[in-house]
Amino acid sequence: MDELIAILQDIDPDVDYETEENLVDGKVLDSLSILQMIGEICDTFDITIGPKWMRNENFNSARKIWAMIQAIRQEEE
Amino acid sequence: MQITSLVFVLFLCAVLAAYFLAPKKWQWVVLLAASLAFYCTYDVRHLAFVLFTSFSTWGATMAMARLDAAQKRYLGGEGKALSREDKAAYRAGVKKRKKRIMLLALLANLSILLVFKYFHFALEQVNRVLSIFRAGPLRDPFRFLAPLGLSFYTFQMLGYLLDSYWGNVAAERNPLKTLLFCSFFPQMTQGPISEFGQLSEQLFTGHGFTYRNWSWGSQRLVWGLFKKMVVADAFAPAVQRVFAQYGSYSGASAFLGILLYAVQIYADFSGYMDIMCGLCEIMGIRLTENFDRPYFSKSVAEYWRRWHISLGAWFKRYVYYPIGVSKWNRALGRSARARFGKRFGDMLPASVALVVVWLATGLWHGANWGYAVWGLLNGLFIILGLWLEPVWAACRAKLRVREDSRPWRTFQALRTFLLVAFIKVLPEVGSLRDGMGLWRRVFTGRSLPRGLRQLLPFVDWSSSFTAIHFFVACAGTAAMLAVSLLQRRRPVRSLTEKWPMPLRALLFAGVILLIAVFGVQNTWMGGGFLYAQF
Repeated sequence: MDELIAILQDIDPDVDYETEENLVDGKVLDSLSILQMIGEICDTFDITIGPKWMRNENFNSARKIWAMIQAIRQEEE
Repeated sequence: MQITSLVFVLFLCAVLAAYFLAPKKWQWVVLLAASLAFYCTYDVRHLAFVLFTSFSTWGATMAMARLDAAQKRYLGGEGKALSREDKAAYRAGVKKRKKRIMLLALLANLSILLVFKYFHFALEQVNRVLSIFRAGPLRDPFRFLAPLGLSFYTFQMLGYLLDSYWGNVAAERNPLKTLLFCSFFPQMTQGPISEFGQLSEQLFTGHGFTYRNWSWGSQRLVWGLFKKMVVADAFAPAVQRVFAQYGSYSGASAFLGILLYAVQIYADFSGYMDIMCGLCEIMGIRLTENFDRPYFSKSVAEYWRRWHISLGAWFKRYVYYPIGVSKWNRALGRSARARFGKRFGDMLPASVALVVVWLATGLWHGANWGYAVWGLLNGLFIILGLWLEPVWAACRAKLRVREDSRPWRTFQALRTFLLVAFIKVLPEVGSLRDGMGLWRRVFTGRSLPRGLRQLLPFVDWSSSFTAIHFFVACAGTAAMLAVSLLQRRRPVRSLTEKWPMPLRALLFAGVILLIAVFGVQNTWMGGGFLYAQF
């Protein structure tokens, strides 16, 4: 989770990612920053994020992004 | 059936009566019957394409759902003892079969769209090349009128097919319910392009009559009719005159003509959405919103998040992201990052995806070079905005401009409005050359208009009837602007809700009177909806 928070802080260091639950709907993350983040996440966690995961609700909070990473890992195993 | 006709109003009354009188579990059947009847009033032959799209998508989603269920059963039972590698191989086999089914349905439906919408355009280009070699032109065997709403319902069903393939929605078992999702009449001909997960449940579950839904829905419906009939249809003949005669206009008149088209298309398209969203609201169904006061946007990118929202969301979800996260595009980003730095590496994959999205968006609107250039111009401004953001930030800092200050935000909104208004007319004037001719006229038509008649040569001054209707539409535009400004904080309907009943009734009756006095006659001149042609 710490690695994920570090990736998110690289996009906007002023956001409290531990508590923020509205990253996409609150326009903290836009489609460009999501794509940037995907690259970092795939490299860091050695996973492939396919188009099926690219739904706003998967990116609305650090917790949800983390849950998505875990689900992808489980699927890839 | 014209949406702005008395026949449509009677049709709505009949649908609403049947909808609320029917038992809740059969209300969706009323909607299906109404949708098919509505579509048949345009061209009953085209219903075959709607049926094909619906049932082919239903067949594909059901086949994929069966494969998923079989996989779950097998791996939960017999296949439990398989090694990890064997399980992975089994899953890969199922995935491959699902992909084949999805691609088959995708290609079958896309081919209808391609044949009807793009074959003629492609053939024209081939014939152009052939003419260079003095070869005879090839004849077009598919020169038919495209089925109404083809681009809208095809995209909606492709979205459902992909969501089902990815496992994001459960497949609908009932083929007739799938047909209703495809053909739901308020959205079928001009959108919004809805997601299955968002709309289906609302369509298939019953809704009771409530006074609030009736009150709010009918207010929005009437406001939509006002925008379309009193404003858009009154400006339509004037805009046609601008496009046909701009060569003799002064720069100021050509400029006003461009602004006029921006107002007309907004009043036309958002008016349609208000009519249909209002109708659905009466039935307790919330359609996806397609507009969020787009002319107040501060950048072209923001404008496209607020104009035709459902189309932008579709392209983002099914084109932009899949290209953005594709292996080849990420590899391109990694390579660019290694050579030119992090920012370049981050921006390049998104820019590649944006070019594809905007070319496709342009061609979705129409199969000609004008729309292709229009789409790419929108994409260019969005990509430039992204790449040059640090430059703009430095300029703002140097000029000591506060980003949240009202003058700066007003400047940004005006700049964006003018930019999109100029881009909008490009494919509409006629050819691409004509579109650019209108732009040129704005800057080269130096004669100064003397008086209102010369400033507004596109108004038919020979008839006091059309001139009066034009100025009523201008007042209607001011009313639309006022409503948009009020909507910044909350829906206008929540404000009027607090007014005394007689005052509300007076306002409602006033708007209906304006529609009856001016709108009905305008509609004879204005014709159909602009977005129905897409």
